[in-house]
Amino acid sequence: MSTTTAAPRRPRPAVSPLKQGLRLTRTEFTLFVRYKTAWMYLVLPPFFAFMAMNLPNNEIVPGFGTGQMAMVATIGSIGLILGVGHPSNVFTARREALVLKRLRVSGVPQQAIFGGVIAVVVALSLAMAVVVAVLVFAVFGSLPQDPLMLVVAVVLSAVMFSLMGLLLTPVVRNAEAAQMVSMLPMMVLLFLGGGIIPLESLPESARLVLGFLPSVPAGEMAQTAYSGYDAFRGFGTGEEKSYLGLWIAALPSIGVMLAWIAVLGLLVRRYFRWDPRQP
Amino acid sequence: MTTTANTAAAPSHRDTTGPAVVVRDLHQHYGDFEAVKGVSFEIHPGELFALLGTNGAGKTTTIETLEGFRRPSSGTVRVFGLDPHGQPAGVRERTNAVLQGSGLLDDLSVGETMDLAHDLAATPRDGGEVLELVGLADRRGVAVRQLSGGQKRRLDLGLALLTRPEVLYLDEPTTGMDAEGRIETWRIINDLKSEGVAVLLTTHYLEEAERLADRLAIMHRGEVRVEGTLQDVLAGWGDRVGFALSPGVRTADLPDLPGTELAVETRDHVLWATYTAGGEDVADRAHRTVAALIAWADEHGTTLKHLQVRGASLEDVFLQVADGASDLVPD
Repeated sequence: MSTTTAAPRRPRPAVSPLKQGLRLTRTEFTLFVRYKTAWMYLVLPPFFAFMAMNLPNNEIVPGFGTGQMAMVATIGSIGLILGVGHPSNVFTARREALVLKRLRVSGVPQQAIFGGVIAVVVALSLAMAVVVAVLVFAVFGSLPQDPLMLVVAVVLSAVMFSLMGLLLTPVVRNAEAAQMVSMLPMMVLLFLGGGIIPLESLPESARLVLGFLPSVPAGEMAQTAYSGYDAFRGFGTGEEKSYLGLWIAALPSIGVMLAWIAVLGLLVRRYFRWDPRQP
Repeated sequence: MTTTANTAAAPSHRDTTGPAVVVRDLHQHYGDFEAVKGVSFEIHPGELFALLGTNGAGKTTTIETLEGFRRPSSGTVRVFGLDPHGQPAGVRERTNAVLQGSGLLDDLSVGETMDLAHDLAATPRDGGEVLELVGLADRRGVAVRQLSGGQKRRLDLGLALLTRPEVLYLDEPTTGMDAEGRIETWRIINDLKSEGVAVLLTTHYLEEAERLADRLAIMHRGEVRVEGTLQDVLAGWGDRVGFALSPGVRTADLPDLPGTELAVETRDHVLWATYTAGGEDVADRAHRTVAALIAWADEHGTTLKHLQVRGASLEDVFLQVADGASDLVPD
């Protein structure tokens, strides 16, 4: 038996994973538009914002009340709804239909495959953030004082929760199960994330613990970005901070989300299944 | 259109630099269950190696290991000298596969599917030409979900061809195809061999393996039980000499011929005897057996009705291996 194998016969120029990821993003948009079930995830954030609109609006800091802050906090939950719901559903269905395996055997790296769907979640999350911002403006007449912080919050939470959605796929056998199972973390994290129950109503110790949940930092960053006041772990004395001061105050929240992204990314890399066949 | 049996002992396009695929003493464990038990084979450029076996024999596990989806429990797997699991990028840019299922996005059209695959590949063929090749050029605007099962398989084959693979894994590629599609697929596969592509084929259609394979192996319960060229494999399993027994002739009356095995069965209420003649004298053993039987018939005043002489078929070999009777190989 020979111990060596044939040498390359022709040079193979590599196609960059970035280019592949962008091409897959384009297709992901097409598929999202054609997959009507996925539209449900676009409806939920404005619905929650509408619900928050009806909460009492007791003033917390000058010009901003609890109802307004709860409505703004729903921006932080957009990534949760889209990220946990959509990737878990479509990637489970594609695994079972051998679509993921088809892509991998064709030489498409996992970064490009994941990147395509995460990019769609990020883009749609930003678009829905604009929709909610328009609602906030229509109801309360306020615009974000630090739009960049709002964008960072939405992008990081979309990436983080997309990874969480991908991590759900190994434990479910089909798309229907994925839809059901994804509802559990989605609802729990929504409930504890400030999107439904204002965190201002919770004691400081509870807010400190909940601050480590993935669903809390984005909401608090959104509130801070809108109000110009430090909303992390409550508005405290209600002291207005400088632009730089708000970003410094946001660092722990950004750090929490980055840590979750790192942990979830490692877990996805370790446990994601490309093949429906169980050993 | 080339549809003749391909039983050549060695392909004419073999690359002298070495095999494209080397599998050596491959074992795959899933907990206590050993799905693959010491499988070894090589595939050279321009060669088609058929891996046959019943469901659960270990074929797909072997292919998945070659594709890099599974790390071998022990043993060595190399594709162009690379470890498919440890260096998947280097391997996958030169390989592709037709999977057991089609692996297509139902919400895309045929044209969109081909365009996507084209844009993702490093050095793709022309998508239109590939659709023409697999007979789907007129279905470009049709949604994948509206294709028949056979058309989906053809599209899947087209996607695999698009990336110009040097090694191609075909996992039951013609399942669901009609006869015309199957024959056309065989022609495409033969053309790929001519271009120097190394092909690993699994199939439940034994005729497919007979027509396409340069060498083949039959797996059973994780082991390769039989391996070689089609001629070698069939020669090892003897020639069949069969006839219907005349009225009044009993099974016990049949002669015991050295170097043969006798099987008697009832077909349409008539007793049939089949002698399987083994031995090294491959060219003469059928003649030797027929001559002995005619002598016996003359001596007993009977005739060998509906006398048939044939070599072992791949189906004969496959069924005996599948029955766990590989130890009964005549040679």
